Amino acid sequence: MNPVLPEEAVQVAEAARRAFADLGGVELARHSETDPKQREKIVVVLSQLGLDALDPRTDPISLAAAAASCAEAGRVALPYPLAASLVRDSDGRPTVAVPNSQVRVDHADLFTQWRVGTLDGGSSFVASGAGQALGTRLGPFVGPLNDLRPTEVNFGDILCQQLLVSWTLLGALENAVSLATFHVNSRIQFGKPIATFQAVQFQLADAAVIVAGLRELAGFTLWRFSSVGEAARADVLALRLHALESARAVFRTCQQLHGAAGVCDEYDISILTRMMQPALRLPAGIEQTAELLTDAVTMDGFVGLFPLGGRA
Amino acid sequence: MDFDLGDGAADLRLRLRGLIQENFGPNFLGAFTTNPSDLEDTNNFCRLLASEGLLTLAWPKEFGGGGGSLWDQTVVREEMWAHHEPRGAQYMGLNWVGPALMAYGSDAQKAFHLPLIAAGDVIWCQGFSEPEAGSDLASLRTRAEPVGGAHGDEGWIINGQKIWTSYAGMAQWCIIAARVGGGERHEGITMFLVPMDSPGIEVRPIRSMLGPHHLNEVFFNDVFATPDSVLGEIGGGWSVIKTALAHERVGIARYARCERLLSLIGAELAPHWQDLPANLHTAWVRALVQVRVARLLAYRTVHAQERGEVPDVAASAARIAVTQCDQSVAEVLFSALDHRSLEAGSNAPLRGAVEDHWRYAQAATVASGTIEVQRMIVAKALLRGESV
Repeated sequence: MNPVLPEEAVQVAEAARRAFADLGGVELARHSETDPKQREKIVVVLSQLGLDALDPRTDPISLAAAAASCAEAGRVALPYPLAASLVRDSDGRPTVAVPNSQVRVDHADLFTQWRVGTLDGGSSFVASGAGQALGTRLGPFVGPLNDLRPTEVNFGDILCQQLLVSWTLLGALENAVSLATFHVNSRIQFGKPIATFQAVQFQLADAAVIVAGLRELAGFTLWRFSSVGEAARADVLALRLHALESARAVFRTCQQLHGAAGVCDEYDISILTRMMQPALRLPAGIEQTAELLTDAVTMDGFVGLFPLGGRA
Repeated sequence: MDFDLGDGAADLRLRLRGLIQENFGPNFLGAFTTNPSDLEDTNNFCRLLASEGLLTLAWPKEFGGGGGSLWDQTVVREEMWAHHEPRGAQYMGLNWVGPALMAYGSDAQKAFHLPLIAAGDVIWCQGFSEPEAGSDLASLRTRAEPVGGAHGDEGWIINGQKIWTSYAGMAQWCIIAARVGGGERHEGITMFLVPMDSPGIEVRPIRSMLGPHHLNEVFFNDVFATPDSVLGEIGGGWSVIKTALAHERVGIARYARCERLLSLIGAELAPHWQDLPANLHTAWVRALVQVRVARLLAYRTVHAQERGEVPDVAASAARIAVTQCDQSVAEVLFSALDHRSLEAGSNAPLRGAVEDHWRYAQAATVASGTIEVQRMIVAKALLRGESV
């Protein structure tokens, strides 16, 4: 029993953290909204980090390194589909899970071709060409993919991308708690830091415990996926569901603890919350993910201390 | 990374399940019942575990234990709690009174008490909480006055009142925190080991939604304690309490019973399980995920202990998650049972186990330190810049 990330993965992630900070951290996401070309800088940095050559499907350490790097991307709301790009095919096409009804992905315009598949494993395609991005505050770079050609896409690749997206959300939530902690320590009201109020402390504690739990589950799911691959469908969906539910609670708390500043883009918490919305809504939001998980658990079971369906 | 506890753990789990199945009927829901044979069965089971070398599996060999790993201990905790704690009231002596004796006891105290606990022959209760000292334990008022000099050369006279004392009506021994001298807060708190049949001790059961005999008030009226009844240093009781509470916070594997009941509910309600509203099915899988997270947070704490760390904050985080999980799962199971959730006893769904679980879950966020105290511990760590 060892729940700790391998040292090699930690080192890769630390390098990514420094590199993303050098790019400006959350500031890069802020600027990219008005100047989408800013995102091109990221490709160069990923290459320098060796992340363009890292394949999370080769061995457990590579998977852990990819996951930890995605967490660093999430920490700064990196405006780039890192999870999808890490799970690419031999032609360099990124892999992404998409909604059943409409094929739209975040940063659709950054690649000319994508490999896409639905989370129920029902259909998969190669898509060429991106349509007009939404350009909204919650989905500035979300765009449709065109020219869908049915193609076999390994379902394990779809799951791997989703696993990495959950790690991305984990990093974002860890930073959200850090930002809120900093804010309540420095914000003075009634003559003292608001961190001295127990109501504030309790909210912060609850958020931190939620994120700590998500990190443990993310590590466990990494191990499960490394061990059994596609058979970890229920585990990956469970992680996604928990990441989405954690995000709903933690972003809300951390914004609230910022007061009105929590919705102002001058503050990183607002950028983080906005930029993570595509990952939270695509390919499926909380309730649809819960239904997918229910189906998966009913069909495949759920690893634990007791087999499901036993009799007393 | 590796989350497999190994073949040894799997074998131990199966062995424990086999012993429980052989020695308890399907209606067993713990020792706190109106049926005296339940308590007798748990005492017999402790002796059986002792004879099999399993009761003190995780104790160091020098104290008569099996020298098992923290993970062996974790498996034992999980299996015992999952199956309604067939060790009955003795788990407290095993889980932390014994370890506290090992850490702070004199040679004579160790020689007398540890073999009794290891043989499954003694029930302990703890006298910590008082009517005016709950979460603020350091404000306790029970006093111990020395006889024959300031160091109690001829003994001690204890006066005061303890409350919420589990197993007091069953216990042979009590570990009690009392104040010595004029110190305030943590100063002067001293631990005493007192036989429960000492003259002047009165136990009054408190009626509650938990099982009968569970919660009690214990009155100490001029109770005499011998000079050698002090555990640790005079005035050094706070360290003992901290050791005890650290063990207690990770001691109860509540998630294991949650998981067992969630695993059984589908078959119990078959063939109607599939007809339940879809949101109940999703609530059920959400509960499974929540239980997994709680278990993993508990494992994180054990892993830190294994590395020699004192993971106070991680233990508090785990306790918040585990106790909340206990209550959430209780609600999900009750929703699945609907009006039948009110039934108790052997004819109730899962022979009353869900009804029993719901009642006990209501106290989960209070027992062994309230969730508010745990939140304060976590928040203060965060504000100091520590990770949680």
